[in-house]
Amino acid sequence: MSALLVSNLRVEINGSQILKGVNFDVRANSVTALLGRNGVGKSSTLKAILGIYPHSGKVQLGERDITREQTYRIVRSGIGYIPEDREIFASLTVKENLSLAELDEEPNYELAYSLFPELKERANQRAGTLSGGQQQMVAIARALLNKSEILLVDEPTKGLAPRLVTEVADALARIASNATMLIVEQNLALVRRIAKDIVVMDQGTVVFSGGIENLNDEEFVHRHLGVSVRGH
Amino acid sequence: MLRWKYSRQLLFSLLAFLVAIPLLPVDIFRSAGFQQTIAVALLYGALALSYDLLFGYTGLLSFGHALFFASGAYVSVILINRAGWSLWMATLGALVFTIVLALLVGSAALRTTGIAFAMVTLAFGEAGHVIINRNVGGWTNAENGLPLNADRIPSIFVGVANTHYIFWLSIAILVLTYAVVWWVTESPAGRVFAALRDNETRVSVLGLNGSRFKLLSFTVAAALASIIGVGMLIASGSAAPRYAEANTTIALLLMVILGGAISRWGAVLGGVIYSIAQTRLQDLTQSGFLDGLPKLIGGPLEEPVFILGMIFIFIVMFSPGGISGAYYRIRLRYLTNKSKTPPVKA
Amino acid sequence: MDTFLLIGITGIGLGALYFLVACGLSLIYGLMGVLNFAHGAFLSVGAFAGYWFAVKLFPVTSNLSFALSILVGGIAGGLFALLVEQLVIKRLYNRHIDQALVTVGVSLVAAAMLGGWFGHDPLLLPTPTWWYNAIQIGDAFIPVDRLLYIGVSLLMLILFFVILRFTRIGLVIRAGVENRTMVQALGINVKLAFSTVFFLGGLAAGVGGVLIAGYSGGVSPYFSGTWLIYGFIVVVVGGMGSLGGSALAALLIGISRQYVNYYAPGLGDFVVVILLALVLIFRPQGLLGKVAH
Repeated sequence: MSALLVSNLRVEINGSQILKGVNFDVRANSVTALLGRNGVGKSSTLKAILGIYPHSGKVQLGERDITREQTYRIVRSGIGYIPEDREIFASLTVKENLSLAELDEEPNYELAYSLFPELKERANQRAGTLSGGQQQMVAIARALLNKSEILLVDEPTKGLAPRLVTEVADALARIASNATMLIVEQNLALVRRIAKDIVVMDQGTVVFSGGIENLNDEEFVHRHLGVSVRGH
Repeated sequence: MLRWKYSRQLLFSLLAFLVAIPLLPVDIFRSAGFQQTIAVALLYGALALSYDLLFGYTGLLSFGHALFFASGAYVSVILINRAGWSLWMATLGALVFTIVLALLVGSAALRTTGIAFAMVTLAFGEAGHVIINRNVGGWTNAENGLPLNADRIPSIFVGVANTHYIFWLSIAILVLTYAVVWWVTESPAGRVFAALRDNETRVSVLGLNGSRFKLLSFTVAAALASIIGVGMLIASGSAAPRYAEANTTIALLLMVILGGAISRWGAVLGGVIYSIAQTRLQDLTQSGFLDGLPKLIGGPLEEPVFILGMIFIFIVMFSPGGISGAYYRIRLRYLTNKSKTPPVKA
Repeated sequence: MDTFLLIGITGIGLGALYFLVACGLSLIYGLMGVLNFAHGAFLSVGAFAGYWFAVKLFPVTSNLSFALSILVGGIAGGLFALLVEQLVIKRLYNRHIDQALVTVGVSLVAAAMLGGWFGHDPLLLPTPTWWYNAIQIGDAFIPVDRLLYIGVSLLMLILFFVILRFTRIGLVIRAGVENRTMVQALGINVKLAFSTVFFLGGLAAGVGGVLIAGYSGGVSPYFSGTWLIYGFIVVVVGGMGSLGGSALAALLIGISRQYVNYYAPGLGDFVVVILLALVLIFRPQGLLGKVAH
């Protein structure tokens, strides 16, 4: 059964069509990677699912139609979101950033702190003074506080130093072992490590859906992602 | 297109009729009071149009436009009364002064955008009002305003018997404003203004310096306001501090919203209607027909601003585009019905 | 020296009044992007409610009646603000220009209603007997009312601070000022924060309205106009959405205006505008603001 079903999703902003009818689904208890070149609409797809962008089409979370819901209700119905560029609150402390995200009766701080023990030490530091990697940890940790049906993860390793890429990737791999996840990621090594399915987008539509094994095909990768397999 | 094919003919006939009003053998048309009311209304129509160049055509929500209207009136009256300049030279002097002022204020205020721009222009406009009201340097005669020395201007603009010349002057200023705004908005620069209004990023992507075009629009609107300010000086006989009030700009905003920011004639119509409504509603509400109502309801209804404010809120919330917007909606429906077949998408 | 001190404290008192006007404006703009022209109406509604209470409901010139009329003014301002938010602002969600326009309409209608009910002549607010007294600090005689403005403003600042710092809704407001979309993407209904901010802003403005009525000698439907404009200037100078910035800018503007007016009569307002221009040129985001707008 699919945890998330997206059909004919369309987004238009300032008269230009960002998404022109996107269709795909995400299997439960498995990781699906959303791939494609820059600017093909991957992040917009996530934002449309979350109701941040006005959209038409249909988005189904499990059995439930969430297409017309407001963003905060969509999130409450069981979606965790780790946005592109982290979007943590710079003027709030780490602790405040996390407690802001609490929705469940018993938020799961154990998981968050076991993945990123550093955050516990820096609880009272302003998030704006953290390094990029630490900010990403805050962004991931706050999405893990509440139980969710699916995690939407947008380029978690973008702009991080290599050492931090490994740390964040390890954490995501641990999370992925018992979660449903839709991840946008350019780092194909990470994608191969955690994803079972891939969805490839181009110019606002899905051009391919299938198994992760397709990423072993050098010609496929070059054609759809514009990079060579060895390059990553 | 939505534009009616006879609209230009209609416009010119209307203009001809306006010009002929003082000559027609109708008592009310010949009364100086009527001519004065309409002259002031036409000037407000022109001022609203100059404001629409900013607000409707460039997307700049300025709350400081009154500053330039007041500077036109005040600089010219000071030049005429004190320096003994002729009306025409004083108009030119006020124009130059206002353009320089607009360039200065505009380059500071345009460092911000959107709502912050509104706040900043409001503050600068208020500064002008304060300077005038505090009689800084003894130039402005504080809240009493500066009466125009009638001996120094052409005699045709002096005296109640000559009101029809003021009436014609107002028409001339309105036509000038309309022509300049028409020319600017239909020019390539005007297309950049519209693009700035709709999507600023796209303009900068094209490699055009958006803020320079905004400053151009800001300055042209200010220059027009200063000329209209001179007109108002002649029509009312003095420069008054309320010309510089934030409430004057807010009134312009009301006029443009009322008539519809999307069209030039809408802005003019809004200005004329608002100006007449201000004076006529006052007479109407004081005529006593509200006397039977309890004060809880009757009190507010006696205030012209109450009714205008309610109409304004209603238009913003439920009927964007004001009068001209409503007209175009009806016309669009008429055209779609007439052609039977639905319009083909390009 | 005593004159210097007197002007300084008068300036702080004036700054305290500016702060009451500006703090709500700043939070409303910071959180919701609404340029709130109706804020002057919050001020007037508070002032008239305070007047009405002190004259009609509790006509005793006592400290208690005066304190209560300040409270009544604050609550009336807050409730009116809430009404405006629920009735008009909410329906124009994310249409910032239309929101600003509609608040202009609200301010006109509110002023006209107050004018229709109470007339246009200034009405004298009954103040306690000590209102015009002065107390001696050092060599200077300081008018008592100035100290009251400072005290009330401090209380309001503390109230705002406690709410923002130690409550859940305060946390949501602070986060929302920074990034409203992301707050919603964390599953939080940010509209509750909107209403809270409008109520608090109206509360401060209502309290300010009563005090300003005492300061300027009377209430009339349009008496808030200049104060609103000063409120806007304080917000721009302090940095939009920053409470501390508003407090700092209010003090700076109040004090510099008083000193300049004393040593160069009539130029006080002028200096405020020059200050504004300087801030815009060298620090467009405002003294304590984070983002340029």
